[in-house]
Amino acid sequence: MNIRSRRRPQLAFNQPGTSALDSQYLRRHKADHSLLILTALLMVIGLVVVYSISPGLAASQGISQNHFIVKQLIDVSLGVIAFIVATQLPIEKVFKLAKPLAAIAIIGSLVVMFTPINEAYPAHRWIRFGGFSFQVVELIKFALIIWLAGWLAKRYRAGKVNDFKATLRPLLLIVLAAGFVIAKLQSDFGSAAVVVMIIGLMAYAVGVPLRRIAIVAAVVIALAGLAIASTPYRRDRITTFLNPEANCQLSGYHACQALTAIGSGGVFGQGLGFGTASFGYVPEPSNDSIFAVIAEKFGFIGTTIILVIYGLYISRLKKIIARSTNWAYRLIVVGVLAWFSTQMIINIGAMVGLLPLKGITLPLISQGGTSLVFLTAALGLVFQISRYTSYNVKEPEPTGGSFETKNNNLGGRRLGRAYHTAVTARPRT
Amino acid sequence: MGSKPKKTKKLNFMPSANRRINIWYVALILILAVIIGRLFYLQIIRHDYYRKAAQADQLKEYSIAADRGLVKAHEGSQIVPLVLNQKLYTLYADPGYIKDIPATAATASAITAGDPADYEAAMRRLDTRYVVLAKRLSELQKNQIVEQKLPGIGIQAQTYRTYPQNNLAAQLLGFVNDEGKGSYGLEQFYNKELTGTPGLLKAVTDVRGVPLAASKDNIQVDPKAGSDVILTVDLGMQKQLENILKKGLETARSNSGSALIMEVNSGAIKAMANWPSYNPAEYYNVSNSDVFNNAAVSSPLEVGSSMKILTASAALDLGVIKPDTTFYDPGRWDLDGHTITNIEEVGGAATRSIAEVLNQSVNTGATWILMQMGGGDINKQAREHWYDYMTNHFQLGKATGIEQGYEANGYIPDPLSGDALKLTYANTAFGQAMAATPLQMAAALSSIVNGGIYYQPHLVEQVGSQVKQPNVVRTGVVSDAVSSQMRSLMEYVVANHHFARRFGDKYSVGGKTGTAQIANPAGGYYEDKFNGTYIGFVGGDRVQYVIVVRVNDPRIGGYAGAGAAQPIFGDLAHMLIDNFGVVPKK
Repeated sequence: MNIRSRRRPQLAFNQPGTSALDSQYLRRHKADHSLLILTALLMVIGLVVVYSISPGLAASQGISQNHFIVKQLIDVSLGVIAFIVATQLPIEKVFKLAKPLAAIAIIGSLVVMFTPINEAYPAHRWIRFGGFSFQVVELIKFALIIWLAGWLAKRYRAGKVNDFKATLRPLLLIVLAAGFVIAKLQSDFGSAAVVVMIIGLMAYAVGVPLRRIAIVAAVVIALAGLAIASTPYRRDRITTFLNPEANCQLSGYHACQALTAIGSGGVFGQGLGFGTASFGYVPEPSNDSIFAVIAEKFGFIGTTIILVIYGLYISRLKKIIARSTNWAYRLIVVGVLAWFSTQMIINIGAMVGLLPLKGITLPLISQGGTSLVFLTAALGLVFQISRYTSYNVKEPEPTGGSFETKNNNLGGRRLGRAYHTAVTARPRT
Repeated sequence: MGSKPKKTKKLNFMPSANRRINIWYVALILILAVIIGRLFYLQIIRHDYYRKAAQADQLKEYSIAADRGLVKAHEGSQIVPLVLNQKLYTLYADPGYIKDIPATAATASAITAGDPADYEAAMRRLDTRYVVLAKRLSELQKNQIVEQKLPGIGIQAQTYRTYPQNNLAAQLLGFVNDEGKGSYGLEQFYNKELTGTPGLLKAVTDVRGVPLAASKDNIQVDPKAGSDVILTVDLGMQKQLENILKKGLETARSNSGSALIMEVNSGAIKAMANWPSYNPAEYYNVSNSDVFNNAAVSSPLEVGSSMKILTASAALDLGVIKPDTTFYDPGRWDLDGHTITNIEEVGGAATRSIAEVLNQSVNTGATWILMQMGGGDINKQAREHWYDYMTNHFQLGKATGIEQGYEANGYIPDPLSGDALKLTYANTAFGQAMAATPLQMAAALSSIVNGGIYYQPHLVEQVGSQVKQPNVVRTGVVSDAVSSQMRSLMEYVVANHHFARRFGDKYSVGGKTGTAQIANPAGGYYEDKFNGTYIGFVGGDRVQYVIVVRVNDPRIGGYAGAGAAQPIFGDLAHMLIDNFGVVPKK
């Protein structure tokens, strides 16, 4: 019998996802700091690469030499702020924010339909004001994960995960609505795929039977096939994807240049200050194609290191998921992992010619403010959640917990003296 | 207390939920492994292929122009530049990068004094990424453009020739066209030497073709500047010759003509000019490209009676006549169904001396001299002798190899085949039915009066560090004795012709006029169109200079040779005596 756990402040049971099990084992401990290291590593790689290609890129577009690095510094700073804010927000309050956020996302989706279209990107994706632009779909992903986590956790506790009316029908409607809004109205097929994957994997994680998921997947694939067949430029992208080198000058240009840049890197790469891909050859070198630029500069060793970092990131997130006993928390991390890994795979897969090209950023490395800010905010939530994982004796619980303040008082109760003592100093009686 | 933690029960929550997470995790790791495998294939196995593809796409070769060699010439005892280089700037636009076309066009055209409408039209072109807006901008204009920082507008430096002496010797020099290639004259002949060796830049470029500094594939070979060329020409003499020629042509009411002065004992050209000429700095404003030609070198003509000097020299050298030979001249020869007669002033049949044949320019006399080469007839032997002298001794009918573009060969008829050979050859004895350039005549005359040495005519005495020595093409063109006899005969001609100013006893001046009918392109000759020529020499105890003058179709009375060309020769001879230190007789 663990006496200490009895003395722990109890979590409020009216909150989503909490259970008797949670109250017994959840205890605030040191967060998973490797998340900080890995996030910082990816961001620094992005900054260094953008810094090195910024002057040439700017010159080829006839703009200020520091344009791109300054923008990236602003974006990364905003990302860091978003991360810190998300770690400090009381997580139960975040769940209450889910509905307002979703409402804003829906309003944003409507607003974006009436914004002027940029000639370079003929799609309703951005809301622009001043020098900034805001990509609505990133907010949709963020809001969707939080709301869905809370909602699915409730369904889970109610034992209605496999209930068609209560859970599956709404889920299917959400998939179709999100798909329609993002793929059809915003013409953003890549983001639609990410959102569908987020929903699908959250449903998978919460335990929706595989047979049902397979049926929905079949419907989604059929609709996607229809969408591809009905839009000429998407058909083009598919044929280009199947044989990029047949048409290197026109539709296959981006794919060919990406492959050329990656292949030119060799084992060790051409070096940070070298490489030519960013001098107008590969489109969007600081953004969608940054992986190809990295591959050219740092070679196979560099790309492998990046993939290993992503692999470590995935394994940390997986560990947090596996140890989260609170279903709402757990599903947030599931959603973030789905978001993070799907974007990474779609982006890199397209660059190496395994997937068709999509306008999807490389998580934490690519330039792209909105995507970075919302992803880091979500990762900030994950960081916070990593404080509430459960461990058995064989794996000692991470020590620390020096961040505890009144604001972090999860149960809202007055805390006893013992709680303020450092975890390591507490007697393990 | 509490030294040993109490053992807690092992937790095993949600085994089935975590199995799903584990499956997902394994799938993700597998996908990462597949991507790494793919990267291994692309970056290591296919590396060479993609590297080559990248280089084929991105590595471009540029030629770096070497500084073109300068052209210098004598001015008295000094050597002064005649052609220099100057950096000017070409303004171009890359239409795709221009943001505000009307504003850019207005700004750029205000600086270059161009037409904004033209600039706008050029900037709106979609089919090109390089449109030249203006050429030959000055350094100041370039700086003004650069200050404006107009997107899509670029400046390229280009080297142009500049001429401190303006139009002087333009046709000798030729010009350098916009592609940097020498055209006409010296620039064409020595294009390779003047150009130097261009450098090579093999550079990786950005997508617009701008070379990137940071690439390991870049190769740079520095250019080697072209050689400077020093002319034999004396600029003072050249200036005066150009003035005298122009004035003489005006007086003779002729539209065009040539004159040249050659050093007898080296073949060096000291001055050579044609009228009309042009401004080489603005060669692109010339409408009639004929003026680019150095006519004295590139335009052969039937020289007329000046040729009699060569005919007499050949006969004297063959020994078939003597300087004091007299003979009965019937005043007409019937050859191949045509009649050769003389001009009215000469009159009909008479006993004539060789000196009078030259002085009065007696065509039938020249024909008789030619006949002597065959023992009294223009037979095969006469023709072969005369042909040998014309082509092998006097080097007619082939280019001299002077350092000029587009040199002409001239024309000497074949002695063995052709129609009316006797008539044709009789004509060549007094300078018709053949053609030679003024330069060829100058070189041939030099070899007659200098004791029989044919020097290759040349305009250049030094290329880079290589000093060119006079090149003897043939010795014994005529014997020393014949050379001296010919000088006397030619002095006799000058002494018996009218000159505005005589030359005095201290100087040896000899010459011969020539008046040739101009061939009608439709066949035959014009009845009323003549070219006037004059060949002569100036010296003291030794002959120093040979002068050749050509006046095309003068529109004044009298014979073209005596009326139009002879006064120009007289002025040139006086110029040499007065200003250029002809050594008088002791």
